[in-house]
This record gives sequence, C-alpha cells and structure tokens, in this order.
Amino acid sequence: MAKEKRNIEINSRADTLPLMGPDVRPWPVTPPPTPEWVMDNIYAKRKAQEFGKFLEDNLRLDYVFDKPEALQGLRVMCNGVWQISRLFGASLLSEQGAEVMHVEPPGGDPLRQLTPFGREEYMLKDNVTGEPCGLDFLHEFRNAKSITLNLETPEGRELYKSMATVMDVIIEAWPPGYMDSLGIGYRQLSKLNPRLIYCWVGERGQWGPGKDEVSKHGQWTLDPFSAAADSWIHNTGFPPDQCPRGGKGGDVMRSGAWLPSYVCGEQATVSILAALFWRDGVSGEGQFIEVTAAEALMDILDFDIGWYGFNASIKARTGAWDPNLNQYEWNPCKDGYMMIGGQTDRLWYRIGMCIERELPEFGRLIHEDPLLKEMGARNSLQGLIKTYSITTKWLRDINRIEAEQKLMEYEIAAGPVLYIDEVAEFPHFKYRPWVNTIETEFYGTVMYSESCGAFQHRTPARVKDLGRPLGHDNGEVYQKFLGIGPLKLRELKAKGVI
Amino acid sequence: MDEKELQKMKVCDFDELPGPKSKEELDEMKMPFEEYCRKAFDVGNEFAKPEALKGVRWMSTTMYIFTPHSVANLAELGAECIKVEMPRMGDPMRHTSPFNEAYLYPLHDTRPMTGTGYGFLNANVNEYYITLDYHVPESKRVFYDLVKMSDGLTECYRHGTFDRWKQGYRTVAEMNPRFIYVWGGGFGYGPKIFGGSYDILGQAHAGLASITGTHEDFGGHATKCTNWCIDWYSGTQITVAIMAAMNWRLKTGLGTMIEFSQVQAATRMCGYTAPLYGRFGIVRQRWGNWDTQLCVHGIIMTGKSDFPDAKNPQEKFEARYVMVSAFGDADFKELCNIIKKPDLFSTYKSHKERVGAPAQIDIYKAIEDWAVDKTRSQVVKIFKEAGILSEPVLNDKEVYESEHFRQRGTVRWNDDPLFGDILIHSGYSAGLMSKTPRRHKWQWRPVGADNVKIYHELLGYPMSKIEELYNRNII
Repeated sequence: MAKEKRNIEINSRADTLPLMGPDVRPWPVTPPPTPEWVMDNIYAKRKAQEFGKFLEDNLRLDYVFDKPEALQGLRVMCNGVWQISRLFGASLLSEQGAEVMHVEPPGGDPLRQLTPFGREEYMLKDNVTGEPCGLDFLHEFRNAKSITLNLETPEGRELYKSMATVMDVIIEAWPPGYMDSLGIGYRQLSKLNPRLIYCWVGERGQWGPGKDEVSKHGQWTLDPFSAAADSWIHNTGFPPDQCPRGGKGGDVMRSGAWLPSYVCGEQATVSILAALFWRDGVSGEGQFIEVTAAEALMDILDFDIGWYGFNASIKARTGAWDPNLNQYEWNPCKDGYMMIGGQTDRLWYRIGMCIERELPEFGRLIHEDPLLKEMGARNSLQGLIKTYSITTKWLRDINRIEAEQKLMEYEIAAGPVLYIDEVAEFPHFKYRPWVNTIETEFYGTVMYSESCGAFQHRTPARVKDLGRPLGHDNGEVYQKFLGIGPLKLRELKAKGVI
Repeated sequence: MDEKELQKMKVCDFDELPGPKSKEELDEMKMPFEEYCRKAFDVGNEFAKPEALKGVRWMSTTMYIFTPHSVANLAELGAECIKVEMPRMGDPMRHTSPFNEAYLYPLHDTRPMTGTGYGFLNANVNEYYITLDYHVPESKRVFYDLVKMSDGLTECYRHGTFDRWKQGYRTVAEMNPRFIYVWGGGFGYGPKIFGGSYDILGQAHAGLASITGTHEDFGGHATKCTNWCIDWYSGTQITVAIMAAMNWRLKTGLGTMIEFSQVQAATRMCGYTAPLYGRFGIVRQRWGNWDTQLCVHGIIMTGKSDFPDAKNPQEKFEARYVMVSAFGDADFKELCNIIKKPDLFSTYKSHKERVGAPAQIDIYKAIEDWAVDKTRSQVVKIFKEAGILSEPVLNDKEVYESEHFRQRGTVRWNDDPLFGDILIHSGYSAGLMSKTPRRHKWQWRPVGADNVKIYHELLGYPMSKIEELYNRNII
C-alpha cells in the first residue's frame, strides 16, 4: 500500500506516469483472502477441510521452486521474428524446464517495438542497454535466452548448423521455404542431427495454394489472417439485426487477443512433445512438424465446417449468444454485461426462479411457454430471442454485482464480464495468484499472467524471468555450445555475423 | 596396388561423407521445397506411418468440451482412450446442437428420439465408449481395474467429488504410482473452488471478452468468440501438461496430479493486458477489427457483397469483409496510392504516427470510403495485384471449398464406421507431423458401445458379469 497521501498537480499525461507502477500503486489494492479464511469459510462449508488442505499442501504456487522440472535437459532453439505463436510455444516448453534460446537477427525481432497505439511510454527499458521493449514481447518471452545471428551470412549459417547439431528441438517461424533456401531447413539439418525435432509455425502453411505470403515490400502474413481463412472471424461478432454495420458493432469480428497465434503455439508444443515421446521412448528419430494458426484454430472451431457438410448450413454471427445452448450468453446490465449459463432443466428453471422473484412475468412468459419446456427446442432462434429479451429486462435495471449475488444464491454459473483491473482484484485470481508480479532481471517488477501448468503435484511449470535484452546471452551461449570465446565473438560481431 | 594398401590410403568412409548417397537422396535434396513438404507430410497416407503415442491408455471421465478435448488430442496422436459416460444418459454435450437441427443417428436405447447432436463433434474422436455409474458401490472395483490398466485419466467433476468417492488422486496413486491424474475445471483450490464454470465464463471473467468486440463509444458490445474457444484451448494446454508429465515419467516412473483451471487460461492469452495494467494502470479496452499495435492491419467492410443474388443471407449480405495488412512504410505508401489518397501517407509517414488511435480512425475510414463501390473480391484483387497482403474473410462454405485446405487434407470427408460420410476439419492437420501424423479414425460411438470390448476383451470380465452389471444399471 502507498505509505502517504500526497498532493500532486496533473497537467498532462507525463505527470501521471510516475504515479503508476507497482512501487507507487501496489497490487493487489485489497489483500487476497488468507488460507485460514478460505479453510473456515469455503472448504468447511462443504466439509472439505481435509481435501482442501491436501490440495493447498500439494499444489500451491508457493512451492513450485521446491520441485523438479518436467522437461529438464531439453534444449530448444527458437528461430524467427514476428510470430507470437513461436514465443508462446517456446514458453510452454521453458515453463516446464526446457532450456530455450531465441535466435534473432542482429536488428532484433520487430515485435520488440510493438506497443499499443505507438506509445513508447508504455514500453519498458532494460537496465543494461536502455533499449525499450514492447509489453507483448516481454510477456511472452519467458525463461529464455536471447542470441543474435545473421543467417544471411555464410558464417552465420555455419554457426546455426553447429548449434542445430546439439539441439533437441528447433521452432522456426520464417516465411515458407526461406530457411530451406538458405540450406538450413529441416531437409538439411536432419542430415546433421537425425534426432532433431523441427517445428515450423505460421498462419496458413508453408505449402499449398494458399500458403503464407510475403508482400512485395517484405511484409509477412500475420495474425489474424489465419482466422480470416478458417471462418472464425466470419462467425464471430454481432449480426446486423442486433447492431448496425460499418464499425458500429454489427460486423464480423476478430479476437482482441492474438487468439489464433496462441492456439497455434500450444498445438505446436503438443506435437513437439508427442514427437519427443516417440523419439525417446520408441524410435530415436526426430521429425518435421508444421503447425498453422488457421488449422489449429479450425480444429477447435466447434462443428462449424462439419455443419456445412451436414446440411449446407453457413454459420451466422450471434453476438454474445450461443446458438447451441439456452441459457448461455451475456447480456447488457446497468454497468456492463452479465454472463448467465445453465441449459439442463435443473439449472434452467433455477435461473428462472431467481429472475421471477423480481420479474413475475418471466415465469408466465418463459416457464409456461410449451415450446421452451423442451430442452432442445429452447435452442431455436426464437427461443433464444424470447428468453434473452426478458432476461435482459431484468438485468437492465441492476448492476453486475447485484445480478451476480442474486444468481449465486441459486448456485448458477454466472459472472460479469470483467476488465483487467477487475480481473486483477478478483479474490480467486489474487489468491492463486493467476495474475502475478515478478521481479525480472532486466525490466523491474512486471505484472503477468501466471503459467497455467503451475498447479501440478510433482513437476509444476514456473515462470522465472520475463524478457531479455537483444543478444544478451551471445557470450554464454556461443561459448557453451560452440566454444567461441570473447575474442572470436568480438570478431564475429564486427563482421556483422552476430 | 593390393587391397591392403588401398585400404590404407582411405581416410574416411564413403557413407560418412556429406551429400546425397543415392538417387532418392539426390532427388530429395534437389526437389523444390513445396514438393518436399508434400512428400514429407504425404496427405492421405497417414495410416501407413506409426503413431506417436502408441501404447498409451487414457481414461476420459469427462463431459462437455474442455476436458474431453485434452484426451481427444491424445487419441488423435495414437493413444487408446476410453470415454466413460453415465449409463443410459451419456455426456450432456450429446444433447447440444446448433439451433437444435443437426443430429447424427443411429438410434439406440438411451436416446431413441434424437441421436447425438453436432455440439459433440470433434471433442471425443477415436475413443472407446463405455459406461459406469460411480454412485454405486459395486462400480468401485471396476473403476480400479481400469486404473490399474491405464496411464492416466482426465476428470471434470466438482473438486473433491472423486476424492470423496475414493477414486481421486490420493487413492489411485497408491494403486498405480505411474498414474497421471488430471483435474480440469473452472477455478481449482481457493475461494471459488466449488464454482462451476463454462467456456463462456472463462471468456467473460478472465478479461478476454472485455478486449474483444467494438467499443461502446462506437456503438458496439463485448463480443463472444464464435467457438467455445476457452474450452478447446485450455483442453490443449492440458495435453501439453500431460505430455510434459509423461516425459518426466519416462525418466522417473512416477505419475503426478495436474490441476488445470480454464478461467486462468483465458487470461494467459491476453498478451500485454496484464503488464500494461500492472505497470501503468491502463485498463485495456476493445478496438474492434483493427489492431492496437499495427496499422494498417485490420478488417474493412466493402460496399458490395460478392454474391448479391445468392439465396443464403450469409453469402448475399456478408461476403463483404476483407483483411488487409500494410503497416510497413512501403506497403502503406502503396496502399495510399491505390485508394488515391497519397496525402494520407504524407500525414502519417511513420508507423508510430499511423498506429495512433485518431490516425487509425482516419485511415480505415479512407479505405472503406474507397471500397464503398467495390465488392470483396475486387478489393482483394486490386490489393494483391499491387503486392499488398489482403485476403477475403471466408465463411464455412468457402472454407469447405478452399483448394488450400483440401490439398492439405485439412477439410476432408471421412467414411465413419457408424455414420457414413462425415465432414471433418483439421483432425489430421492441427499439427502436421512427418513421421507420426495425427489421424482421425471415427467421430463418436453410442453410449456404452464398447462395454464388451473394454470390460470383456481388456479386463477379462465374463460375459455373464457384464450382463449383470448392465441389468443393474451399473454399466
């Protein structure tokens, strides 16, 4: 907590910047519940104290550093620029203990320069070079080393080949065929290191009539081209009968997060680990893997393409409603949006009972409608429109917190749409904590999203550091793997090889 | 010179020398990269290659999408997976279907009226379907017999339920120390431990919804992703955790327990959202179809649809959105010339200037004004011919017809053993693997269809016992 109250005059945004940050405005604002409180008020309520203690004793985040790492000894080289998917895939491995080295060209990954609306004041300067780094790059660059290498020089390619002989995994994200044309793709490297697992990640593919392209001036195909190609964007958003078109809400919609890239990165990790399992357990051989964001996302696109195959349906947008389930949506309330879910009769009538208390016509119009009594029939479009119109009539006069409290009395899975400040103060998020802070080596204290694999009994995933100045580990890595000492390193640097 | 002397002259072995050694190898090194990829991944011949997870057996005591998907990934990679459902009822997801209209048959005793809905698609592929009612004391022994024979399980019941039923991690680890036990749910230990969860709750609670969609200032709302993205995406992260744990088990022979919360996973994909708030107190908002960090890099609306005469409104009205990307200086300059607004480039020469919020509003409006009398395909064609990256926003029909996905084997018809022709998407290509490819064997099977296969052929129960268990509604 801030220690004293100060009077400050604010004339511009520049005056507000020093007032922010974890030293001045600490997180969390209100402390999380204590384990004792959770024991007495949560676990005890269901007579689960003993089980709760077992979970806390074995899974708490506080204990991750007392335990070994699952992928200890796995060496990963990640080579590319731009693609967030490669960073996320590499992070999933490094959080589990793999040794990850990111190879960037001497100029660095342009992702380092990205910052919302171009605002440099929201980039973080490292304490070695003073170079600013964008927060997306920083957040996804986890437990890893940064080395530079100019692969356009013959000497750089030789160094890269030597590195490849001592790696278990290479994740690559360059345009289709580029590494191959330089003589350092899977085709060539697998001859030097048959155990190598080589994974290319991209948007639509490195082969095929719609493969990833580079523009005339060298710009790459990036997220969300993948989601445009696999119908995800077409199927997301509000329909024009709910909001007007043309940037006013009623258009197709991309994800605010780089969702396709994350989906691509995690499937890359699954394929890599499956290949590793096969290599170490069965064959001793590496292999070539290709994961694209378009296909990884299409794999999880519910039934959408399959539905077209079934009866030539083309899925339309349904905004914040789900065409498969009633109720399962969020609708506007007084101060935001309230999500409500429950489609089986047991839950569906419970939602109604809660609303009916204050809005008696809900019972008459919804519960007594013979069409809506049948679970399947409730999912018809008219069923959704009717149910949600009257639900929203109840919601529009109350705030999120009121709606949540009322629905919770009936034990309904319901919750408000939360913004990041609310997420960071959500008691359960603080308690675990899922949004956490870390003292990084180079960028001060940073708030980040905790690793999802961190809650594991024997070998939990963990975050040790975020971000890295460009090429910070050249000395260590080239010495360790290739025996290149400082003198030779300086020479290579002067020649523009690293 | 005799043989001995000849051998003396040699300093290395021919086979160890670099370079191709045979016609095949020469061809492989010479062939164009694209051809090499086609040969390496060899679409259509997946079944001629081995499976990565051959011999792994996994129990899926799961429902809905999230936890089932963590197992489906394993099943596509070759593990033998056993889906356990409640007798006569099955996974509630079987009831689910878009607007209640797409169901697959055949009819069978448990759901004679309806079959299984398309909501169930893709979440439990290649698995064996058995039934077991955990509430009955006699089912315990059956459950333990399965545990003894398996490598792990994924479950999704309210935390502590399996523990109370004496089939939780603490119990099974003592029966099979190699067992990898996964609990997947909304929240995990802590104040919301007993809170239920859905995909949509993850989207809403964890910040994803707050940054997706058009901002209120423009008239829009927080937008739900079309698919159950958090369910699926969290399921895949469980698979990552399982695979890492299996790797550890190769070395130590020990299993573990994984507690995975989908609500957390939704926050994990929000990128700079958390660090921006933590350091600067800025609460990230929604920015619609544009990009907060790159401009031009977004989706624009054209004035005309590609198919004005089509019957289906999705073609008639919606075939009018284009993804265009020209954030580099040269690309942006080219774009400004195309839309006949060269002054736009002089106003926003650097990317830093372009990516500012007022600049973006200005720029995208200029592009849309230019596109107002054009169709989607006209706009894409003009941009592409100028060397600018641009693609139409495709609908499901167009994805189905896409030559790209057809050639890659991503969208293909499968002759399902029970249901005949079923269109599958990405079952083979969520990750292409050259030596141990993923594959799709069957979509799903009726509730309890494999009871005999598992209980008799695997566990060795006599047929009379299976009949008895069935008649008593235990299986």
